Amino acid sequence: MKENNECAIVMKGISKEFKVLNRREGLKGSLLDLFSRDYKTVTAVDDISIEIPRGQIVGYLGPNGAGKSTTIKMMTGVLEPTRGELLVNGAVPYKNRAKNAEKIGVVFGQRSQLWWALPLTESFNILKDIYMIPDQEYKDMLEFYQSLVDIEPLLHKPVRQMSLGQRTLSDILAAFLHNPGIVFLDEPTIGLDVSMKSKIRTLIHALNQEKGTTVILTTHDMGDVDALCRRIVIIDHGKMLYDNDIEHLRRFFGSYRTLKLRLSGDKKAQLEKLTAEIPECSVGITEDEEWITVLVDEEKRKVMDVLSQIQNSYTVRDMQLEEISTEDVIRKIYEDADRENGAASEETEEGSESK
Amino acid sequence: MTNSISKKRGLGFYLHIYRMIVIQDIKSKMSYRSDFIISTVGMIATNVTGFISFWILFRNFPSISGWGYYEMLFLYGFSLISLTPVQCLFDNNWSLRQNVFSGDFIKYYFRPINIFFYYQSEIFDVKGLGQLAFGIGTLVYAWAKLGIPVTVLAVVELVVFLITASLIMIALQNAAAATCFWINNSFYVLDLAYKFRDYAKYPITIFGPVFKFVFTFLIPIAFIAYYPSLVILRPDEIPVLTWLSPVIGLIFFGLSYKFWMLGVRKYNGTGS
Ligand SMILES: Nc1ncnc2c1ncn2[C@@H]1O[C@H](COP(=O)(O)OP(=O)(O)OP(=O)(O)O)[C@@H](O)[C@H]1O
Ligand SMILES: [Mg+2]
Repeated sequence: MKENNECAIVMKGISKEFKVLNRREGLKGSLLDLFSRDYKTVTAVDDISIEIPRGQIVGYLGPNGAGKSTTIKMMTGVLEPTRGELLVNGAVPYKNRAKNAEKIGVVFGQRSQLWWALPLTESFNILKDIYMIPDQEYKDMLEFYQSLVDIEPLLHKPVRQMSLGQRTLSDILAAFLHNPGIVFLDEPTIGLDVSMKSKIRTLIHALNQEKGTTVILTTHDMGDVDALCRRIVIIDHGKMLYDNDIEHLRRFFGSYRTLKLRLSGDKKAQLEKLTAEIPECSVGITEDEEWITVLVDEEKRKVMDVLSQIQNSYTVRDMQLEEISTEDVIRKIYEDADRENGAASEETEEGSESK
Repeated sequence: MTNSISKKRGLGFYLHIYRMIVIQDIKSKMSYRSDFIISTVGMIATNVTGFISFWILFRNFPSISGWGYYEMLFLYGFSLISLTPVQCLFDNNWSLRQNVFSGDFIKYYFRPINIFFYYQSEIFDVKGLGQLAFGIGTLVYAWAKLGIPVTVLAVVELVVFLITASLIMIALQNAAAATCFWINNSFYVLDLAYKFRDYAKYPITIFGPVFKFVFTFLIPIAFIAYYPSLVILRPDEIPVLTWLSPVIGLIFFGLSYKFWMLGVRKYNGTGS
């Protein structure tokens, strides 16, 4: 166990519940809603405990609606946890929002925090004064930025004239500007092209190395994870599924192989058919849509066996055999959790609604 | 690494940041020249038509409830000036609902400064300055026509009560805007608060006793122009309430700020 003061973030049994009004339909329903006390409780984050030492880059993963953004909103002082103990830089974020904000940087992908009408350099100047960054540190930081990416063309452009990629890049630069101890990045690479993604990964990596910044990264892009994170935390339905080294996870799935195939014909249709034909393997398509991937657990069934089954009914134009990819590991974990959850929720369907 | 002592951010700091943001904002607005010209023309037209309708309405009556034409004009000018701060400095209240609804509002939590300040500093509405010029012109003209002696005391009183009136108008708008943290259709509340300010131009005595009570104690728009103007216009019959109005202004502003910040604290954001 690490000492508390070595930890950037300590979460103990954190939960967050939202009360949502059960809305009724129609005009009469809306009128009734005005006086309604009929609330449903949604548990977005459910009893999560993590300790994050300084300087780490942690991939905070989970399927849509898992509770990742909600966790980040608690860590940044926007939301108050319903239960549990949360310390960021040794203080409770919700109670010390402004003080906490001095030592963190935040980027919510697709939601710019820069002044819309101002050129980036003016935004930076304002931030310099808001965070009271000393002149020399500010100058050094800009030089460091320039050595990593070409910021010169961005500086004089009003934010509202920027492309999504340029804006995200600017937002990330702004988040690191005051050299915060922790930076939260919620889906920073969403909607970006391959080259911008790689630029942003380089930038985050370099800043983490050079400044020792702790980074909490939420993403659905396993390329981000491969490039940046040693440790990953996976949550689903608000509950912690996994928290460990990614290497450890890969070893855990050591008997798995990814079989990549190029078949003639329509990939989407093949995906459906193959999923039905080989139920013991998980079938997917790669991000560039070039390959069909079949994840095989060699302890259950040999790769060659699966391949020959496929060859019986498809023409294989090209194939590759790989160790399990991060993408597949994560998908496997999501799918397994889903299966368990599906079974569990059927039993508790009735009891899950509170008044 | 980051230093552990928290940096002090006082009034000087906030004024400095405000100035920086506003100068940049005005600079960038002026760079869209046609936009700037059109909105300036629009602002002048609004003020001129406002004045013309006032003039058509009141020039034919020698007095209404004992209030003469120039006294009415004085009230009109007074209310224009006292509405300037809310127009110039707090115009972003109009976008609050949109920001809260879309979830964009969470970005205001991420800076180490007061959220109310940060939010309001984002917009400075230059158009309000035209209204200010118009109001001052009207007030000075009415003052001269009424032949009220210009003393240091009168000017000080005027300034104090203008500030009071502004605070009340700002308070009204803050409170109305902040309802969006609790209800979806808060636009109507804000719009209603905006419409009320039209009544601020008239002496409260022309309304019946019910409205007189409402506009004094519930929705205190009588403090925007009527009660303060009495100090200059009717120095012999000033009600106690007038002397209380600076305090009432501060209290209302304080309460509206607390209400706004209460919304900030309980805001849950959106699911995405
Ligand atoms: N303000 C809110 N009011 C009600 N429910 C909410 C609110 N915010 C989030 N939720 C719910 O909490 C759950 C978790 O949402 P959250 O945004 O944290 O997910 P996420 O892991 O970030 O998902 P994604 O990958 O899609 O961004 C969802 O079921 C969501 O509907
Ligand atoms: Mg999210």
